[in-house]
Amino acid sequence: MAATPFSGDVIRKASRITAVLQIFAVVLLAILVSVYVDISSRQRDMRDAVRENAMWSVYQLNRESGDLVHDLQLLLFSENLAEDRLQELSVRYDVVYSRMNMLKKAQFEKNFAIDVGVGRHLDLVQRIIFDSQPIFDAITAGQPVSRQQLEDLDGQWSRLFRATSDLLVYTNTFVSSERAKARIELEGLQRKSIALIGLLVLSVAFLILTLQRQLRSVQAAGVSLEAMAEQLSVSFQAAEAGNRAKSQFMATMGHEIRTPLNAILGMVELLELGRLSPETSAHIRTIRRSGEALLDIINEILDYAKIEHGKLELERRPVDLQGLAETCTDMMRGRAAEAGNTVTLELAGDWRARTVLSDPTRLRQVILNFMSNGVKFTQGGRVTLRMRQTQRKGVLWLRVEVQDTGIGIDEEGKAKLFQPFSQVDASISRRYGGTGLGLIICKEIIDRFGGSVGVDSTVGEGSTFWFEMPIEATDAVVSSQGERDNAPLAALRRLRILVAEDNKVNQQVILGYLDHLGQDATLAENGALAVEQAGAKHFDLILMDMQMPVMDGIEATRQLRAGSGPCCDVPVVALTANASEEDRRLCLEAGMTGFQAKPIGIAVLHRLIREMGGSSREEPDAVMSQPPVTTPKPAAVSHPVAPAVSPQVAATVSARRQEIAEILGEDGFQELLDAFFEDAVDILAGLHAMLASGERQKLDPLLHNLKGSAANIGLMDISELSQALRHSDPAPADIERLTQMVDVARQSLSAKDQTAAA
Amino acid sequence: MRILAPLAVLLAALSFSAPAAWSLDKPTGPVILTVKGKLATPNVGETAQFDLAMLEKLAGRTGTMKTPWTEGETQFSGPLVRSVLTAAGAKGNVLLVRAINDYFATVPAEDAIKHDTILATRANGKLMSVRDKGPLFLIYPFDLEPALYNEAYFSRSVWQIKEIEVQP
Repeated sequence: MAATPFSGDVIRKASRITAVLQIFAVVLLAILVSVYVDISSRQRDMRDAVRENAMWSVYQLNRESGDLVHDLQLLLFSENLAEDRLQELSVRYDVVYSRMNMLKKAQFEKNFAIDVGVGRHLDLVQRIIFDSQPIFDAITAGQPVSRQQLEDLDGQWSRLFRATSDLLVYTNTFVSSERAKARIELEGLQRKSIALIGLLVLSVAFLILTLQRQLRSVQAAGVSLEAMAEQLSVSFQAAEAGNRAKSQFMATMGHEIRTPLNAILGMVELLELGRLSPETSAHIRTIRRSGEALLDIINEILDYAKIEHGKLELERRPVDLQGLAETCTDMMRGRAAEAGNTVTLELAGDWRARTVLSDPTRLRQVILNFMSNGVKFTQGGRVTLRMRQTQRKGVLWLRVEVQDTGIGIDEEGKAKLFQPFSQVDASISRRYGGTGLGLIICKEIIDRFGGSVGVDSTVGEGSTFWFEMPIEATDAVVSSQGERDNAPLAALRRLRILVAEDNKVNQQVILGYLDHLGQDATLAENGALAVEQAGAKHFDLILMDMQMPVMDGIEATRQLRAGSGPCCDVPVVALTANASEEDRRLCLEAGMTGFQAKPIGIAVLHRLIREMGGSSREEPDAVMSQPPVTTPKPAAVSHPVAPAVSPQVAATVSARRQEIAEILGEDGFQELLDAFFEDAVDILAGLHAMLASGERQKLDPLLHNLKGSAANIGLMDISELSQALRHSDPAPADIERLTQMVDVARQSLSAKDQTAAA
Repeated sequence: MRILAPLAVLLAALSFSAPAAWSLDKPTGPVILTVKGKLATPNVGETAQFDLAMLEKLAGRTGTMKTPWTEGETQFSGPLVRSVLTAAGAKGNVLLVRAINDYFATVPAEDAIKHDTILATRANGKLMSVRDKGPLFLIYPFDLEPALYNEAYFSRSVWQIKEIEVQP
């Protein structure tokens, strides 16, 4: 971050400039206002200045008085004092009178009327005019006027004329000085205006300048922000990559830890089968329990890594809720008894929908987590599992409660419950252990289901953990898996069955099973051979592996359905290790009738044949509408990652061995084992070679092969790691680990043989 | 004040002039206005002469306004210049308005046609004497058109009018 060119300085500078700009804008505004006020006051003055012209008026007065004096003297000189001439003189007087009145009353230029000198002169003029008024009033009235009176008038009027002349001169001086004053004022105004305009121009120029600077700084800020964003994005990507690497590392480490742990648990189980002293037996039980606890923790961590990475995916399969509840209580019973607890199951009398579409593994995980918490924090009490269904706004909801009579949780503790890496308090983790991830995983799962999780608790009385989620009802499965597993396998009609399978071990298992079930089985090594054989001869059922060399199961089925051979409408059931929705869709699109997850058990095979047996031609769709449910009896076998409380992973080999041995005999299983290890040596050698030569695209078929055959004999860890490596980019170390696991398996299985022999 | 029209004279003027709308009656009282120039209906020789009664009979207006020559608002009333010109049958573009003291101003005939300019006979309802700028005062309608209130029109506002000479 230190290298970024974007710094606070730029921003601060820009804001300082903005502040200056604002002040300038205000000043500018003030100047503008003052200019406007000035101009408008001048305008008012100008309007007021619309006045009568004083100079002109005074001149008129002077002229009229001069005329009057002139006329009077003319009259006196002519000695003719006729009435009409006197009247004329009287009119002249009236005119002078009106002129004088004008000067008193009219509005002249500024200051003229109030000037003392003007007033003095005007008063004198007025006095003289008023003095001669009686004579003229007499003339107007037609009374005789004596010559003496007129001569007196002449004397007065000569004074009047002089007075008006003086007034004229005075007015001229006055007006001139006023004009000069006005001009000076005007010049002052002009100077002021020029100064104002100059200021305006200056401010505008400065405004433009600062705006330009601000624009530049904003641009610079934008550029550095962009650079910073880029840098951030790079850092984010780096962080993301780091996070991904961490998740990858966690996943790898999980497998790394689980592999030896599985070996330990397997060995322990083998040891338990032997005759042991009670003391050793107790020790071994402790080892097993500790190992199982450790496995739980690792599974939780792996789950959390998945959740954090958004890789938690949910399945949608029919789930028998009652069966699920019973399985969970059964699984908890043993552990509960160890702590002196009883486990009870309370179910609603009748289900609205006993079978729903959901993810049974995840559901079981949540219920078992709640129950194992209940058992963990309860001593000599009771743990109750309740299930209830309600209808809300047309949607079916499932509510599951696990109530215990344990220590309970206070309010503070409740708040921390669903937080990652937190336990109610540190002493709890010391006393009871656990990662503290269990509940957050549960919450995450239920959130994904669109439901909610909660807890009601009273300290000292116990807690009730519950979750609610919307569920979707579905058709009930014909019969539960458990019943069939336990039921003896009924005799079947002999069918001709084509098995397309490339894996040696798988071939042996399936052929062995089919032989045991009294079926007429034919083997095809790959898809192309299967199409060829199916074209030559009629079969009643085709079991098709999905991934095979030369031609895969999908393509083979497509060709089969497209052709017109004797088997073009025979039921084809896909066998696959990856039971994803995508695979299911691909299979159905290719024209397959059913879909079966591997490794296939004898019971499932039996059911499959029975269903296809009598009705293969008439109702090939029957299988489609009721897809085989792949909920195998031991949860750990098909879902080893699930945090089963008692996974007994190592026991899967023996479980599988038992199943195979029942049908093929112990020797048959041993043969399978030998074949597997033989194959494994070749495959591993191949893997090493491909890795060395860099032909990475050839790794996948080999890993797939190893995965399938390992699963077939119950070596789930090897199978899982092979599968995991298919999706990652395997390093030589990974292949080395695979090799070691195969070695461990070989040793442990031969050890088992020895134990069995002993 | 000297040209006070007796009521009888006024009435006589009214009764005589009423039927003769196309020709101008002869003045019966003292003549206060003489219109000269090219006239269609002269009444005394080549001129049209008016006494007060004749003028006050013509279409006129009354307006209250401020002028530079009066204190405060003053109500002026009198015949419209254009009605005087019409009565005289005068044709022309320029009016030479002459005062008693032979002062004159050149007034465009337009001022009489476009604006309601009057020859005020009365200020505040009273006849104006020569001492009070009578007997006739050319008053522009400053109340109706404030734009006229400036020196150009002030100089045309002739008072003590005795004669209008109509020029082409």
